Amino acid sequence: MVLQVKKASKNFGGLSALSDVSFSINQGEIFGLIGPNGAGKTTMFNLITSMFTPSSGEIIFNEDNINGLKPHLITKKGICRTFQNIRLFPQMTAEENVMVGEHCRSKSGVFSSVFRTKSQRQEEERIRSKANELLEFVGLGGFAETVSDSLAYGQQRRLEIARALASSPKLLLLDEPAAGMNETETSELFQLIKKIQEQGITVLLIEHDMPLVMKLCDRIAVLNFGKKIAEGTPAEIQNNPDVIEAYLGSEEEDMYA
Amino acid sequence: MLAELINPYYLQVASFILINIILGVSIYITLSTGQLSLANAGFMGIGAYTSALLTLNFDLPIIVGILAGTLLAGVFGILIGIPTLRLQGVYLAIVTLGFGEVIRVIFVNWESMTKGAVGLSGIPHMGRELLNTLKDFGFDPKILGLQNNQFVFLAIFLILLGVTISIITFFRRQNRSRVGRAFAAIKLDEKAAESMGINITYYKVLAFAQGALVAGFAGALFAHVLAYISPADFAYHRAVEILIFAVFGGSEVIWGPVFGALFLTVMPEVLRFISEYRYMIYGLIIIIMMAVRPQGLIDVNILNWVKLKTPKRRQKHGTSSQKSI
Repeated sequence: MVLQVKKASKNFGGLSALSDVSFSINQGEIFGLIGPNGAGKTTMFNLITSMFTPSSGEIIFNEDNINGLKPHLITKKGICRTFQNIRLFPQMTAEENVMVGEHCRSKSGVFSSVFRTKSQRQEEERIRSKANELLEFVGLGGFAETVSDSLAYGQQRRLEIARALASSPKLLLLDEPAAGMNETETSELFQLIKKIQEQGITVLLIEHDMPLVMKLCDRIAVLNFGKKIAEGTPAEIQNNPDVIEAYLGSEEEDMYA
Repeated sequence: MLAELINPYYLQVASFILINIILGVSIYITLSTGQLSLANAGFMGIGAYTSALLTLNFDLPIIVGILAGTLLAGVFGILIGIPTLRLQGVYLAIVTLGFGEVIRVIFVNWESMTKGAVGLSGIPHMGRELLNTLKDFGFDPKILGLQNNQFVFLAIFLILLGVTISIITFFRRQNRSRVGRAFAAIKLDEKAAESMGINITYYKVLAFAQGALVAGFAGALFAHVLAYISPADFAYHRAVEILIFAVFGGSEVIWGPVFGALFLTVMPEVLRFISEYRYMIYGLIIIIMMAVRPQGLIDVNILNWVKLKTPKRRQKHGTSSQKSI
């Protein structure tokens, strides 16, 4: 088990964004987190990456309780994420963006940088070549020198994935990676996520594109109004009456509508 | 022939330009993590007073005084940097401005130590001390065909030039490294930087402390170049002046504040009649820059343009630009 979420809750004042949500993710699988807008999916990401601390409950990563750890230490432990609304470093080139991602896997400080020690130069070389490999991996081979701001939308999404991969994560969290993509881009994304899985990286995916989720995920958990209403394989989820109700509304509601 | 070219007045102006450039670099460093600090005049004062008092009261060598002043300013940088981590933008500017005022008020009121508003005079002069030391070894400026006075100012200028170039080189190298990328990432998107594994607390305090160290260093040099300091030298006006270097020149690249400091120190000297109105002009500059060119005069695009126009640089960069095409 890579990640275990045990009865995690998060309240914002009187509003309960998540209540007693539990699930666990196995090594090497692609786990989907779905649910209507406002169900608490991104809040769950923010709990796992420690952007928020849970109001109650535990989050366990590789046997370690990671509650309340600083976000940069979570990344160092091997969890890295992308953002729903792309958050690249806009004025940096694609290559620099990915190089920033390798921050926690490198260690040169002020003095070795200023005096350009041998180990610093070697590290810099290593970081740069790995960044270029990753750009190649996500299909941005020719764009190393392009300022990330001026990349196309779908390319920015893939660059964000490359940047997250640069931190050598064991668990990769993707927050709606297919949002705003056309069909070609989505199918390229499907291939990419499969390739990431083949590298032995576990993936936790939030996504609204249901055909993609059903094709891609090994298992899925469904959130609605901050509660988990179902968990299982894509086939089980598709036939779960609670899930259908959450997405389509119940017949009674329809009568009043 | 050399003797006629060396005019102490010009050398003095050039020395102040260099000190202002160092101050410009100090605000640039904190700004490169997105923190706007107006405390640098205060740090400068700490550096200046510490070094002046140590050399005046304990007869310590100037270099020891300068080091102590720089380090103490750095310590204050850490002390101010940590509690203000949560503040951003205008709020940080206000708090740091307040800190500068507190420091100034302490200089004014701690009369037994600082002689209050009158200031400290008779601070060992860097150039003269150097000359005296050299004379002990039998050196006479006349060997170089220079008057004592000319030698003193020339020595100061050359020392400051070396120091300034070293500081700029230091931070240019730092910028193009893992540390520089972390600074830039924090400036561009703090949350994303944190998610990418960057310890933002460490790097923000580091930038703050580096800014304080450099400002304290500039202050200590200032004390030993002018030989006289008073609290008014480190008041609100100084804080605004340092800010103007970055606003006018730009804070995207290190050359921005360097150019700003150079231009805005030369201008009042060249146009004597303007210097009366300099703070009015500073105000105008801020307003005009905000409206027309918020990134300052020198930005990345200008630098790239300059590089393209410089033939030698073009060859050096030719391979990489061809590759990207």
